[in-house]
Amino acid sequence: MGRFDLRTRTGQISTIIQGQQANFTDTDAQAFFDRVTAAGGTLSDTEKNAVNILTLALKSAGIWTLMKAIYPMVGASAAACAQNLKSSSFTGTFTSGWTYSSNGVTPNGTSAYMNTGLNPVAQSLTSGDSHLSYYARTSATTSDPAEIANFSDSSNAFVLQSKTGVTNRYFYSVGFAASRVVSTAPTGLLNGSAIANTRRDLYVNGVSVANNITTDTATLGNYSLFIGGANLSGTTSGSFTNSQCAFASIGNGLTSSQASDLYSNVQAFQTSLSRNV
Amino acid sequence: MIGYILTIQQKDKIQGQEYAPFQIFNCVQDINYIWFTFLTDDDKKSIIGTDYEWLLSCPQEEYIPKPSPPFPSNN
Repeated sequence: MGRFDLRTRTGQISTIIQGQQANFTDTDAQAFFDRVTAAGGTLSDTEKNAVNILTLALKSAGIWTLMKAIYPMVGASAAACAQNLKSSSFTGTFTSGWTYSSNGVTPNGTSAYMNTGLNPVAQSLTSGDSHLSYYARTSATTSDPAEIANFSDSSNAFVLQSKTGVTNRYFYSVGFAASRVVSTAPTGLLNGSAIANTRRDLYVNGVSVANNITTDTATLGNYSLFIGGANLSGTTSGSFTNSQCAFASIGNGLTSSQASDLYSNVQAFQTSLSRNV
Repeated sequence: MIGYILTIQQKDKIQGQEYAPFQIFNCVQDINYIWFTFLTDDDKKSIIGTDYEWLLSCPQEEYIPKPSPPFPSNN
């Protein structure tokens, strides 16, 4: 979607409002602030303004309604970072092993994950209509990092991985992954998405860096998604990352244009918080 | 990474238990099936003064993870 045209009143206004002070607070953003406060967390005025602008931008871009969960990772505490911007559902639970700061949340890469409580199957997400995104401020250095994942077996999974071996990938079935070879785990907005089961894309900073056009009718893992690691069959955890997270989202599939818009909006959000990479 | 070594009984006592709002313990086994838990400085601040403060007195040792990743490779 292009930049907003004042004459025709069409297009996206996020490029205009990003980086500025909105003169009103979006009701969903306010509800998020209220949840943070009720949980015992606090947000600075800068953080509130950034979240408000992000909310307005995502709505303007038509992405908001596709989201099931959005974790802005602001507030430098478990109470604040566990909150879902999209709704009061899917409040996260962090395990021990996380560090909280104004730059986001950092898992230890050994045992730490956040349980989102979001089961993608229960939310009707499919291999033809779903996405995961994770803003990685630092490059993962663990051996098999999964930034957001559940995994049952090779054909029942929902996985975004910055680097396993030499592979950066997004998959539902391992054999049909959108993947590429990397020497180091990427940073920035990592995003995997499918809008049909005939194609899935791996995006980095809004640009598709790999795709797979083999039809994949896999059922996603029927377990809650973990951030910072993988939920393995609902019984244990593994594939821990140590990449610092400054945003994450889970939802319906994003087109290439929406993936680009998501990156633009999230990057502006990070820039306004002086934590962009 | 250095972690706290736990007996099986200690692991059973804390695994999945909430030690602060929105925070629960997670324990993992090392290559020798010894149970470990890891506490960041943020975690340590949270458990001081709670029923779990005894964890800070547990022996600490280098953790060596199990070698095989759970996800198969696709290349």
